[in-house]
Amino acid sequence: MDYSKEPHGVYFLIDNKSFYASVEAVARGLNPLKVTLVVMSEASNTNGGLVLATSPEAKKRYHLQANVSRQRNVPDDPQLMVVPPRMNLYIKRNLQINDIFRRYVANEDLLPYSIDESILNLTHSWKLFGKTPREVAVRIQKTVRRELGLYTTVGIGDNPVQAKLALDLYAKHNPDLIGEIHYETVPDTIWTVEKLTDIWGIADRTAAHLNRLGIHNMYELAHVNPYELSAEMGLIGQQLFALAWGIDRSKLHNRRGPKNASLGNSQVLPRDYVTQQDIETVIKEVGEQVAARLRHHHKQAGCISLGIGFSYAASEADGRGGFHQEMRIAPTDQNAVIVADLLRLFRRNWEGQIVRNVAVYTTRLSPATGLQLNFFEPAAAQIKRAKTDHVVDEIRDRFGFTKLVYASSLLKGGTAIERASLVGGHNGGNAYE
Amino acid sequence: MNRDLKVITERLDAGFQRRPQVRYQVMITNDPYDKTYNFFLNYQHRDRRLRSKPLHSVHDYRLEYLEQLIKGLRDHTKLTFEFVGFTGERWPSNQRLIQSRRLNDE
Repeated sequence: MDYSKEPHGVYFLIDNKSFYASVEAVARGLNPLKVTLVVMSEASNTNGGLVLATSPEAKKRYHLQANVSRQRNVPDDPQLMVVPPRMNLYIKRNLQINDIFRRYVANEDLLPYSIDESILNLTHSWKLFGKTPREVAVRIQKTVRRELGLYTTVGIGDNPVQAKLALDLYAKHNPDLIGEIHYETVPDTIWTVEKLTDIWGIADRTAAHLNRLGIHNMYELAHVNPYELSAEMGLIGQQLFALAWGIDRSKLHNRRGPKNASLGNSQVLPRDYVTQQDIETVIKEVGEQVAARLRHHHKQAGCISLGIGFSYAASEADGRGGFHQEMRIAPTDQNAVIVADLLRLFRRNWEGQIVRNVAVYTTRLSPATGLQLNFFEPAAAQIKRAKTDHVVDEIRDRFGFTKLVYASSLLKGGTAIERASLVGGHNGGNAYE
Repeated sequence: MNRDLKVITERLDAGFQRRPQVRYQVMITNDPYDKTYNFFLNYQHRDRRLRSKPLHSVHDYRLEYLEQLIKGLRDHTKLTFEFVGFTGERWPSNQRLIQSRRLNDE
C-alpha cells in the first residue's frame, strides 16, 4: 500500500477517563483512579437506577458498564460510593477542558466529538509545545490534571481515525494513558485485532455481516477484495476497508452541517401507560415541547413524525416493537396544530397496546417568516392563537418552565413538570447549586 | 443566618431522614481546582453501599469563612463532619488541624 498520497498530520483524540465518575470524585476531594464510585441516575423512568458512569476501580471490581448496568447489577458493597448525576456540572467541565485544548490548537483545529471526547489537529502547532507528539500529549494530560484534577487518555495518529483507534485499542490500557498508531504501524496495531467489534464503527450487526462474508478479524478485512466488499455492503464496505488500512481523508476544518435538520424529543416512560388518556397527555406534552423548540429556533416544520414503543409484554404479543408514522403538514410552529396532527397519527395506529416510549420528530424545517392564514377561520382568531404560544414561551423563558403549565400536565399521565429540570434525561444538578 | 448556611441546613434537613441502621455524615471537601468548599451528605445503611448527595458548593474560598460556616452548622446539627482535602491545613482561630489524616483514596 502506498501511503505517500494520503494526508499526513498529527491528530490527537483525547477523552476523559470515566468522565462523570471522575468529576464527582474530584468534587469530593478524592482521586479518580483510586476511588470506588458509580454515578447512578435515579430518574423515575430508569427502573430503579441506571449506572451512567463508573470509576476505573469500580469497573475493575464489579465489571459494571456505563449506560448498560442497572441498579440490580450494582453489588451492595460498603466500599462502594453511589452518587447522583449532575449533568450541568459535566457540561461545564467539558467546556473548561476544551478551553485548555484551545491553548494548543486553533479553534478550527478542535472538534468536540462528544461530552468527553475531542479531536485535535496538532499538525501545525505541535512543534511549539514539545519535541515529539507524545511529549505534547503528556503536557496536555498534565495541564488538565493540574487545573481540573481529571485524567485524560490520548490517542495519537497521522489522521483522525488512527487517533480514534489508538485511543480505543491502546491508550485506555496503557499505564501512561497514551496510544499511538501511524501509517507504518497499521499492520502491527490494527491488523492484529482479532475481535471485529473492538473496532470503532463495527458493532454486532456489521460484525455478523462480515462474518458471513468470511471475514473474522482485521487482517482478513484488510486483505479482502475492496470491490467485492463494496458490491456487497455499498459505501460502508469501502469505508470499512479504508478503516482496516488506517486511511481517513476527512478534513476537520471543513465543518459540515446536517443536510436536513430535524428537531424532536423522545422519552422513556416511567411506567406502563395503558389508557388512551394517559398516553395522549404525554404525546401532547412532548408535542408542545417540540413546538416550543421550533419557535425558539425560528423554524416551522413541514413534516411531523410520531414514534410509539410498546412495553416488552405488548411487543411480544404484537410482534412489533411499536409503530412509527410520518405526515406532511402545512409548515407550522403552533402547539395546537402539531398536537392535533400527532393525536390523529396516534389514533390511526394505536390498537390498545401498552406504551413505554414516545418520540416526536419534526423535519422539513423552514425559516419562520410569517403566519399562513386560511379562509376558514377569522384572521383575528388565527393571529391570536399564534401569539398565545409566543407569550407562553416568553413567560417560561423568564420565570422557568414549571411556573406556567397546562392543567393537563397535572393529570396522571403527565411527565412534563417532573422532567423540566432534567438535562439529557438525567438530573441536571441545578438543585444542588 | 447567611445564604450558604441556609441552603446547606435546608438540604441537610431534607436528606437526614433518621432511618434506622443508617449512618449519616456530613462531608466537607476542599476543591482546589474550582476554588470551592463542597458539602455532601453521606449516608450508609449497615452493609450497604455508601450514598453521597451533594448539598452545596461554597464559592467564598477562605478558611475564615468556612470556619464561621462550620460553627453555624455545628449549632444546627450533631452529625459527624468529615473533612477531605485539608491535610496539613489548620483552622485560623485556634491553629488546630482540620483533617487529622489523609484518606487512602484521596
